[in-house]
Amino acid sequence: MSGLTFRLTSAPKERLDLSQLTPRKLSSTPLAQVLKLNVGSTKSGLSLGDVFAVSGKPGDTVRIESGSARLDFVGAELDHGTLIVEGDVGVSAGRNMRGGRLEIKGDAGNLLGSGISGGEIFVKGSAASQVGGLSAGDKFGMTGGLIVIDGHAGDRTGDRMRRGTIYIRGKCGSFAGSRMVGGTIWTELGFGADPGLLLRRGTLIGPSVEQMLPTFADAGRHDLVILRILSRYMSATLGSQAPKPLPTAVRKYAGDLATVGKGEILLTA
Amino acid sequence: MKVNGILIDDTFAEAFGMAGTGVIITADTMKWARIAATTMAGFGTSVIGAGAEVGIDRELKPEETPDGRPGVRVLLFGFSPEAATSQLKTRVGQCVLTSPGSACYAGVESDKRIGLGQGPRFFGDGFQTAKRLGKKRYWRVPVMDGEFVIEETTGVVTDAVGGGNLIILGNDRAGLLTTAEAAVDAIGGVPDVITPFPGGIVRSGSKVGSKYKGAVASTNDAFCPTLRGRVKSELSPDTVAVLEIVIDGLTSKSVADAMRVGLKAVIDTGAAKGVTRVTAGNYGGKLGQHHYKLRELLP
Repeated sequence: MSGLTFRLTSAPKERLDLSQLTPRKLSSTPLAQVLKLNVGSTKSGLSLGDVFAVSGKPGDTVRIESGSARLDFVGAELDHGTLIVEGDVGVSAGRNMRGGRLEIKGDAGNLLGSGISGGEIFVKGSAASQVGGLSAGDKFGMTGGLIVIDGHAGDRTGDRMRRGTIYIRGKCGSFAGSRMVGGTIWTELGFGADPGLLLRRGTLIGPSVEQMLPTFADAGRHDLVILRILSRYMSATLGSQAPKPLPTAVRKYAGDLATVGKGEILLTA
Repeated sequence: MKVNGILIDDTFAEAFGMAGTGVIITADTMKWARIAATTMAGFGTSVIGAGAEVGIDRELKPEETPDGRPGVRVLLFGFSPEAATSQLKTRVGQCVLTSPGSACYAGVESDKRIGLGQGPRFFGDGFQTAKRLGKKRYWRVPVMDGEFVIEETTGVVTDAVGGGNLIILGNDRAGLLTTAEAAVDAIGGVPDVITPFPGGIVRSGSKVGSKYKGAVASTNDAFCPTLRGRVKSELSPDTVAVLEIVIDGLTSKSVADAMRVGLKAVIDTGAAKGVTRVTAGNYGGKLGQHHYKLRELLP
């Protein structure tokens, strides 16, 4: 697992844009030029060499040994290889990812996996709001790939999500799957208030909902074959880290009937 | 040459290139997976008359299927991917969608894909929904016992082989049938092949053409024991019956393997049951691109 390793020499004094630090971009850039990359977000012209010590050789893996909530756009546009962050990251980690693997050992800021269309994101800690959501100018949020969060996820997870899977071992905040067009959000500890606001299509799975929108209809308990397939898919993708298979019978709420209404909230408890 | 008391002709089976595809059908129980698969494979004997040659490749344990339920793999062979697609659509729509508790998935993995759920999904009348997981897309069609789940596409291979065969001759009709059954059972253990005729066995081997206009094939008179004396017969005086096993496979190797185990089963036990000779059907080597020489398949 060869690759470059970056270590913060001091706590960043401004927000840093680390979208350049992907295996593909770094493999085609001489190290001297890498150190000159502008990563600052102010007029200071902060270069990568000003805040990071770099070691190793370009390869399929990039490692950021120290984390900070000021490290933004980590793994943005990642399309192959692995990017590992040993601590926290800021906003828009994994933005528009198309492939590869992003591992965040700490917490993630807002808009984790915004616009992601492929690849896998793993977060050891929790993620703030709009996981797999959309940024200004985007038509959709997440359109593919897999996001796994070991902790909790904030509000509006999967906002305008179209495809892909978000799995949260902890709890999911309010308005999960708002304006969602497709895809799957699965939480082990339940949803906050009003999940599926204007949900058109897509699936929200969890043991409970703090408050169900009145525009969701109770469709009864069902044994859904698709959930067996989903459990198999997670098992094949995550191996020993895969969640326990879903129960054979779940309670289905269909909605949001204020719009297309082909979505569903499936309660596992 | 004679092997174990059975004459093995120095000839070859001549087979043709076909398009091969397949599905995995699952259900709540193996019984219902088997029912759906058998129904789908029904009237799937000869591509000439039935449009496709269809059969059960094997039964699958729950851990081998996409949804963890018991399943059956069905293979379907047609003249072209387009012909296979059309047959797949109607057979799945009529026989699998309708079967209680069923689900249907790709049974062949190949870069070339054909539609599987693309037709049956419209049965959902707008209530159907899609779910993409990784690279696979599934349709969920509401039906009266829940949901019919069907994968959007399945793989198709264009270098599949149809028409591998063994022709078995004997002086005891019952013993011949028992031996042919044993050969079909043995072939059942070979992956990626089917024996599409009833019980895997054909009693009406055909020749190309007919005295009647419009009939593309007619009875293989040279192998009909009751015509001995009237036509230029291939049969010795003691032959009372002839049965044929036709084999289709996703690969040429699988067809050869199937013929090999079938031939072995006949040779192992056939003589005691009245089997006297094994030969194979061909057209002089001019029509089919795959030739399977019996002497090269001997155990």
